[in-house]
Amino acid sequence: MKKTLITALFMFLGLSSCKDFLTVVPETNLSTAIFFTKEADFQQAVNAAYVPLRPITNDRAWLLGEMHSDNAYYYRNILFGATEQQEDIADFAVPTANGVTSNVHVLNQYRLDYQIIGRCNQVLAAIDKVEFGAESKNNLKGQAQFLRAYAYFELVRYFGKVPMHLTPVTNRQEAAIALSEVEAIYTQIIKDATAAITGLLPKSKQEPGRVTSGTARMLLANVYMVRKNWGEAEKLLKEIVASGEYKLMPDFNDAFSTNTGNKNNIESMFEVQYQEGASGFNGAIIYNYLPRPMSPEELKPITGTSNPQPLTGEGNGAPTPDLINSFEAGDKRKDATIAYVTIAGSLRANKVFPYNKKFAKTHSLHGNTGNNFPIYRYAEALLFLAEALMEQGKTAEALPYLNQVRTRAGLPDATTTAQADLRKQIYQDRRSELAFENKRWFDLVRTGTAVEVITAYGQKVKANPVEYYYPEGATVRSHAFSNISLLYGLPADEAALSPHF
Amino acid sequence: MKSKFTIHLNRVYAMGGTFLLILFCSSFAFSQIKGTITGSDGATLVGVNVSIKGTNRGTQTGADGTYKIDAAKGSVLVYSFVGFTAKEVTVGDQTEINVTLELDEKLLGEVVVVGYGSQLKKNVTGAVQTVGAKEIKDIPVSQIGQKLQGQLAGVQINQTTGKPGQGMSIRIRGQLSVSAGSDPLYVIDGFPITGDIGAMNPDEIEDISILKDASSTSLYGSRAANGVVLITTKKGKSAGTTVSFNTFAGIQQVPMRGRIKMLNAEEFAQFKKESYEDAGQAVPVEFQNPSQYRDKNNDWYDALIRDAPVQSYNLTVTTNREKARTSFVGGVFNQEGVVLNNTYKRYSLRMNSEYDISDKVTLGFNVAPQYVFDNTPRTDGDRGTGILFNALHTWPIMPIYEADGKTLTLFNRFPASTGNIFAYPNWVRAAEELVNETTTTNIIANAYIQYRPIKDLVLKSTFNIEMLRSKFFFFNPSTATSAINVAIPTTAVSIRQNFENLTWLNENLATYTKSINDHNFELLAGFSQQRFQQEGTRIQADTYADDRLPTIQGAININRGGTQSQVQEWALTSVLSRLTYNYKGKYLLTAAVRRDGSSRFGADNRWGTFPSVSLGWVLSDESFIKSMPKISFAKLRASYGVIGNNNIGNYTPYALINNTVNAVFGNTVAPGAVVTSLANSRLGWETTKQLDLGLDLGLFNDRITFVYDYYTKRTTNLLYSVQIAQEAGFTNFNDNIGEIKFWGHEFALNTRNTTGKFKWSTNANISINRNKVIALADGIDRVYGTFHITQVGKPFGQFYGHISQGMYLNAEDLKNSPQVPGRSVVGSIKLTDQNGDGIITNGGDFDDRVIMGNPFPKFTYGIVNNFSYGNWDASIVGSGSQGNQLLVRHIYSTANLDGVFNLVEGVKYRFRSESNPGKGMYGTTVGGGNVTGIERDWMNSRFVADASFFTIKNVTIGYTIPRANKVFRSARIYTSIQQLYVFTKYWGGPNPETSAQGDGNGNGGNLSQGIDFSNYPVPRTFTLGINLNF
Repeated sequence: MKKTLITALFMFLGLSSCKDFLTVVPETNLSTAIFFTKEADFQQAVNAAYVPLRPITNDRAWLLGEMHSDNAYYYRNILFGATEQQEDIADFAVPTANGVTSNVHVLNQYRLDYQIIGRCNQVLAAIDKVEFGAESKNNLKGQAQFLRAYAYFELVRYFGKVPMHLTPVTNRQEAAIALSEVEAIYTQIIKDATAAITGLLPKSKQEPGRVTSGTARMLLANVYMVRKNWGEAEKLLKEIVASGEYKLMPDFNDAFSTNTGNKNNIESMFEVQYQEGASGFNGAIIYNYLPRPMSPEELKPITGTSNPQPLTGEGNGAPTPDLINSFEAGDKRKDATIAYVTIAGSLRANKVFPYNKKFAKTHSLHGNTGNNFPIYRYAEALLFLAEALMEQGKTAEALPYLNQVRTRAGLPDATTTAQADLRKQIYQDRRSELAFENKRWFDLVRTGTAVEVITAYGQKVKANPVEYYYPEGATVRSHAFSNISLLYGLPADEAALSPHF
Repeated sequence: MKSKFTIHLNRVYAMGGTFLLILFCSSFAFSQIKGTITGSDGATLVGVNVSIKGTNRGTQTGADGTYKIDAAKGSVLVYSFVGFTAKEVTVGDQTEINVTLELDEKLLGEVVVVGYGSQLKKNVTGAVQTVGAKEIKDIPVSQIGQKLQGQLAGVQINQTTGKPGQGMSIRIRGQLSVSAGSDPLYVIDGFPITGDIGAMNPDEIEDISILKDASSTSLYGSRAANGVVLITTKKGKSAGTTVSFNTFAGIQQVPMRGRIKMLNAEEFAQFKKESYEDAGQAVPVEFQNPSQYRDKNNDWYDALIRDAPVQSYNLTVTTNREKARTSFVGGVFNQEGVVLNNTYKRYSLRMNSEYDISDKVTLGFNVAPQYVFDNTPRTDGDRGTGILFNALHTWPIMPIYEADGKTLTLFNRFPASTGNIFAYPNWVRAAEELVNETTTTNIIANAYIQYRPIKDLVLKSTFNIEMLRSKFFFFNPSTATSAINVAIPTTAVSIRQNFENLTWLNENLATYTKSINDHNFELLAGFSQQRFQQEGTRIQADTYADDRLPTIQGAININRGGTQSQVQEWALTSVLSRLTYNYKGKYLLTAAVRRDGSSRFGADNRWGTFPSVSLGWVLSDESFIKSMPKISFAKLRASYGVIGNNNIGNYTPYALINNTVNAVFGNTVAPGAVVTSLANSRLGWETTKQLDLGLDLGLFNDRITFVYDYYTKRTTNLLYSVQIAQEAGFTNFNDNIGEIKFWGHEFALNTRNTTGKFKWSTNANISINRNKVIALADGIDRVYGTFHITQVGKPFGQFYGHISQGMYLNAEDLKNSPQVPGRSVVGSIKLTDQNGDGIITNGGDFDDRVIMGNPFPKFTYGIVNNFSYGNWDASIVGSGSQGNQLLVRHIYSTANLDGVFNLVEGVKYRFRSESNPGKGMYGTTVGGGNVTGIERDWMNSRFVADASFFTIKNVTIGYTIPRANKVFRSARIYTSIQQLYVFTKYWGGPNPETSAQGDGNGNGGNLSQGIDFSNYPVPRTFTLGINLNF
């Protein structure tokens, strides 16, 4: 009896199914086994593809596109170190060898763009395998196509040749691929942007904050502007004007969102969406732009927060005398773009500093802002259209578009129909209109003036550092303005992971 | 307990009485002899067999250790007892014969616990080392790991932090992995537990076996590669009932020696004054007169340190009756830390019992509940969490107390004009006001039934459960914080994290033993299933209206990112088998295999097979050795096997979706989802193939025993999250890659140097462990950490940086030397241009960094000396490490020449001018971050320090009270000093054993060993202890 019982016990303990026992799936995460099977999955995946735009515009693009130009410099603080990464960008001294640089901002910009691309590739690879409503599907595909095109457009302008991934990577061997030619990248950008125009909803039907068919036209027009394909650009820009979806805000100040309001307004063609609060959707770009060190008392009138904290270290994005002096007399955009603050603790004799006012919107808590960052505004569409017409010799046709923008700025109409003069005027207005919107460096490159302008600018900085916010006695670094090149080197950390560069 | 005890004693007396009656009736010609039998420690021994040689007659000692026997004059009495050397005494005229039995130190006769059984030590063919509880009983510490320091060959045990109850790093044969765990598998009474043994009460332990080679570990299959530590807890062994009570109390102190010497207030002000003067700038008023701080120094580090008590109480009761054996161990351990507000308490119980319910069936139940309370200030790590690190950094001119001398300051910040960038919260407040409590309740229970249907076959089925409930509570009030650069009041934050773990294991084993002529077989076969489930909840809340109410509902904000459900689970199914064979006990063979199926492995690679074989040859049983009388024992061993490491994470093969990557459109938050990892259905265990060759030698009747082992092993298929180009949209791919070779030598020597009244024995060991990276992933020949490189052809995780040549001494030197363009000046650090391109580059294709140091020792060693003279005993335990280096990480900021933080004393001897060039360690302060940033941010050889050490871990002196009285069978008092002295030239901090990994917060793992952030110091402890046996 006992023996039987014990034997039975052993038998029982020995029995158990192995296969089920050993299948233990993650319980606190979704996995690809069940994802990408319904519309909501794609909706979420597309939403996430927008997310890297926040760190791009908040942390990197203003360094690479604006401080890397004659518009903005840094507020040298000789008491503070570990600032080389930013200074190298502003000083056109990004250490580059063999087409590769260790600059951390370059690295992060590159990686963030590929985050967008990777997320879009996941969507585009799977979306046609799942059945759901055509309008929604096309709108989702259009957003993914737009974002992928936009990311590649950033990459090709920063770096030239880059690897081009169009499908999701599934294993280690596929991760790093050869660099694509610039032409091939542009072909793909044009293809994606063109498809996006068809799939996307117009602004009036699209949820505010998402890209629209108008945004995609603007992106494609921008591509054609860079490629000097003026005719195609003109066509697209005229479609935008004709769509009636966009208007200039009457007051230039109102073209930009405030901390909580005026977001995605009628002038806005696309802006990166921020929201203040503790959920991580906030920006802080104005804190990147202010002079430092600054006391809470000095900061409070600018930010209006209830808990201003001292700003330490070295400030960035100082409006250069070049920018300040470039505004035409009476241009309302000057006061909307530049303001001044007095900093008692500065080591400089002149304790009054200009700062970027465009994005200085009052908010509640220190370091946490909710104002959106503009990517495309209708004003730029008008300026592009004027430029595209001008370049084709249609100067008279160009003037009304330019003058819409000038009128709002409180300036008299431009009247010249001489192409060279009008070109100069349009460039002038682009600089005044779009300062700190990360357009300046791309414009200098696009218009072929980068080397000439920056060389002259560098000489001014070196000749008179105090004008460029150095404390008296402090010197410009000896290698400043030693590397004025049109492209950034590819990031060294990525070079280490790729056999192709 | 009490009543059982009495009944048992009565029975013993009754038995004795019966014996006496018989003896009296039949043998009146004999005279009665009586006496007491004691062990060499003075404790009386119960159940010693006393017999008259050449007859069947005999008796046993009773519960008081006494015996009575009738024996004729001239007859020989034999006293024998398990574990002791038998003694013979010829009866003369005396009527009382008291005998002291010596422990049987003839080690080779011992039985050794091995995986899934035990073996005669003589027959062991693997590399197994054992430590008995007795050998380490006096070391007054809370953790077993601390007790084992210095005792074991081939096992490197470092105390990486002085935090009570934490920080023991145990590495067997230098095993390491890139990213899988490297801790050995701990098996308590046959149950592989899921955590470590740091919290286990050492008094529960009877002995410990360390399984080092593949043949002894392969029965643990995919969990064996890091070595296995088998722990056997106390069982009711000796006959009758024994009660013992052990206690000690002590005081812990942090020695002055080894603390990092920082500038005092006056020196700091002087430094600042000089740096402004050297730069030709106006000296801020705060620094114009350094002598004003002469009597106003604030030693922030010292303010966090205190002398602290430690106490331990343990009661052990064992009984061994006819059909039942039980043991009970109850312990209380209470340690205050040497950092303010640090408390560690442990209450533990263990009850082991075994019942023979028939001749064939035995049932056993073990249950061990335990409660641990731990409140540890955030002492370790870098600027975010390490208040000790932060204390070093705080300007000593910043006051700890307000002007009233008693109120702690809230925080300190000088005007920006002084170069003070960061706000410094008051670290004393951080220690005292932050709550960082963990309470852990843990129960390990085993039940088993053993059935012997026929004589040679044993069937055993066990069911084991480990339940753990851990409750963590952190509260950072608004008045203090552990991070630099936070102004007070700050945002109050609470974190609550509760975990419940449940592990169960069912194991069914059959053992068949057979001897045919001189052929001896044992065949083991088994099947097991184990499952682990963890469920946890973490809630993080912040912004409190009132610090006195740190509840969840008292918070204004719940931090969504920090609030989570956490589930972890794994399952393991295994079959195992082992054949042990010997011929005449002379030629030995063991072959074993385990097959493991694990839920952690990818679906296409679920099962692994782990075989091993080993051979032994007892040379001393051969006639040609027998003719050499000095050699009492000799055995050659060889083993080879394949073992695995499954510590690869529970869900690593899966591609996961993060569905909290949310976006905002307008004012609407929209959910976002991202594929965060790539799937790998082939992902599996790490494989280690190990060869071991060993020699066991006993000389002079085993007065000298010597064990030597050589091993070589290759670990392949290392789990590695291979960094991939981020153009792929992912950062990493989890893969099995690469190959590391390990090899080493282990020597262990035991000698009984003197016998007789003064006894002295020595146990010494040396371990040499080496490793080399043979391959990494294809296309990858090196992996960088922040300060490390792991490179094919070189040892693992080497320090990587620039080689410093001192400073540019003058304009000429600067001109003629390679420079950092735009940054090098006279007096700044002169680094070596390794690639000869004329400039110094950090990173990229023209990198001038090279391997500049090695965190691994050339060898480690331990030496234990035991002495006894009469009733006195003494022991000294030392352990050391030679040739290893540490990267003094805090120098990055404690020698920040910008004067942002307080500085190490050596900065006084920095470069100031051509005529005052300093000692070549620190450069000029002039030029700010553009200049000073190079020596600070570019890791260089000045920060690599030799961390060789020899530590006298423990010295104990004890006195056994000679004659047991009515209450105690024996009593002993002892005093000991733990961590008596560290002999070292290491200058980077108080603890050369420290090895923070990665960034100091646990990130970076094995690739980044040997970094010193100046962790919690290991205190010196003076204790007084008592052992009482009833």
